[in-house]
Amino acid sequence: MELWRSRFGIPSEAFEGYAFHRRGHNVWISSSAEPPDLRYETIGVRFMSTKGKVWKPTTSALQLFGGRATKNAIDLDPDQAKMFLAGESQNLDADLENGYVVVSYRGMVLGCGLYSRGELVSQLPKERRIMSDKIENGSFKGDR
Amino acid sequence: MVHLERYRDIVPDFESFVESIHRPLPVTVRINTLKTDRDDLLRRLSEEGVRYRFVYWNPLCLRIDLEKPGNLIECLMGYLHVQEEISMVSAVVLDPRPGESVLDLCAAPGSKTTQISQMMENRGSVVANEPAVNRIPSLRSNCERLGAMNVAVTRYDGRLFPRHRFDRVLIDAPCTGQGMARKDPSVLSRWCLKRSLGIQRLQQSLLRRGVELTRPGGTIVYSTCTFAPEENEAVVSTVLDRVWVETVSVPGLKNMPGLTRWDSDYGDELEGCARTGPLFTLRQEASSDYGDELEGCARYYPHQNDTGGFFVAKLIKK
Repeated sequence: MELWRSRFGIPSEAFEGYAFHRRGHNVWISSSAEPPDLRYETIGVRFMSTKGKVWKPTTSALQLFGGRATKNAIDLDPDQAKMFLAGESQNLDADLENGYVVVSYRGMVLGCGLYSRGELVSQLPKERRIMSDKIENGSFKGDR
Repeated sequence: MVHLERYRDIVPDFESFVESIHRPLPVTVRINTLKTDRDDLLRRLSEEGVRYRFVYWNPLCLRIDLEKPGNLIECLMGYLHVQEEISMVSAVVLDPRPGESVLDLCAAPGSKTTQISQMMENRGSVVANEPAVNRIPSLRSNCERLGAMNVAVTRYDGRLFPRHRFDRVLIDAPCTGQGMARKDPSVLSRWCLKRSLGIQRLQQSLLRRGVELTRPGGTIVYSTCTFAPEENEAVVSTVLDRVWVETVSVPGLKNMPGLTRWDSDYGDELEGCARTGPLFTLRQEASSDYGDELEGCARYYPHQNDTGGFFVAKLIKK
C-alpha cells in the first residue's frame, strides 16, 4: 500500500475493505470478505508482482485503482496510445520519475508502463494488447 | 436440417425456426458496470461512431454493429464484454444480490461469472469452479479484465464439489450446444441422440450436487444452450423431490414453457448413431413424463427473440 501512496499518491483509504493475499511472487486483491473454506486456484485480481527488485503493479489493478493517481501518471495522445496498446516502446518527454507509471488515454487507464530515461515501455500483458491496424471504430479519431 | 426435425411438434412456427438457424447471430456485448457506467459508455461509443441498438429486456446488453467488437478499446479495457445475448439470461434468472454467497459450478470462460459479480456489485463472494485446467486461463483473464474482485476460482470436479451451503448456485451445464447453431452450424450435424444421452448423466450429477450445495430456500439455476429435452427437462425432473420449480419469465423476452412430456422414437433416432458402447442398450422407451412442474422452465428459440437457443430452469431448494 505504501508503494501505491508514495509512487502514485493513491491514499490507502482507496483499499479499505479489500483483502490481500500473497502467493508465490504475487499479491492478490479481493473484495470478498470471507470466501468459503475451499482449495483455491486464485482469489480476486492479481494486484502486483513481487518478483523483481521493485514491486510491479499489474495492469488489471491499475485499471481499477490507477484513476486516483496524482503523480507518475500520464495521459497519452492518440498516436502514443496506439503504440502503447500495441505493446511498443516510445520516446516520451514527460514529467515522470523513472519506474512504473499509470498510463491513460481519454480518461481510461490503459495500464502499466515502465518509464526510464525518456522512454516509455508498454507493460501490457500480451493478451491485452492490440495492433493498431486491428483497432475497431473511431476510438482514435482525432484529439478529444 | 434433419436434426431439427424432431422438434417440429414442440417449436411454434417451425419453418421460421429452421430458417432462423441459417441467419447469422446478432453481435452483442454486455456493459460491465464494475468498471464503467452505462451513460458514460454509451456516450463514448457514440463519440466514436460505433452504432448499436438496445434490446428490450436488458438495459446492459447492446447489439453492436461490428463484426469483431473484441477489438474495441472498450473491450480491452473491460468496459464491455462480448457475450451472446440469450446467455445473459442465466444470471438474470439467478438474480444474485450484493453480499450473498454464490457458486458458478461450470464457470469457464467466465461470462456468466462476471455478470453475477457485476450484479453483486463486487460484494459478497462468487466461487467460480472449472474442472478443466486448460480453461482456467480464460476464466481468470476475463475476471481480471472485467475487475471481478469478489470472484475466487476453484478447480474441482463439479460432481464432487466439497460440502458448503451457498445462497445461489448456477449450473450452466456442458451440453450438445444445438442452440449455438447460428454461430457454428456444425453442432447440428454432430448431434445425435447418443450424445445427448451420454452427457445427460454428467448433467444430472452436476445438478444433483448443485442442489446439495444450496441452502434450504436458496436458488438453483440450471441452464444449457441446447434444445434436446434429454439434456433439459429430463435432467431437471430427477431433482423434483428436493426442489420447487419457479416459473421463469423475463419481461421483454419471449419464451416457450418447459415440456411436461416428450415423445420420441428412440429406436429410429438411435439409428443415426454408431452402434457401440453401453449407452445403446440404455433405453428405448417411446415417451417420457417429466411432470407438470416442468412447465415453469423456459425454452428460448432463435426465431422468437433473434438470439441463440437456450433453456433455463429456476429451482428453489426445499
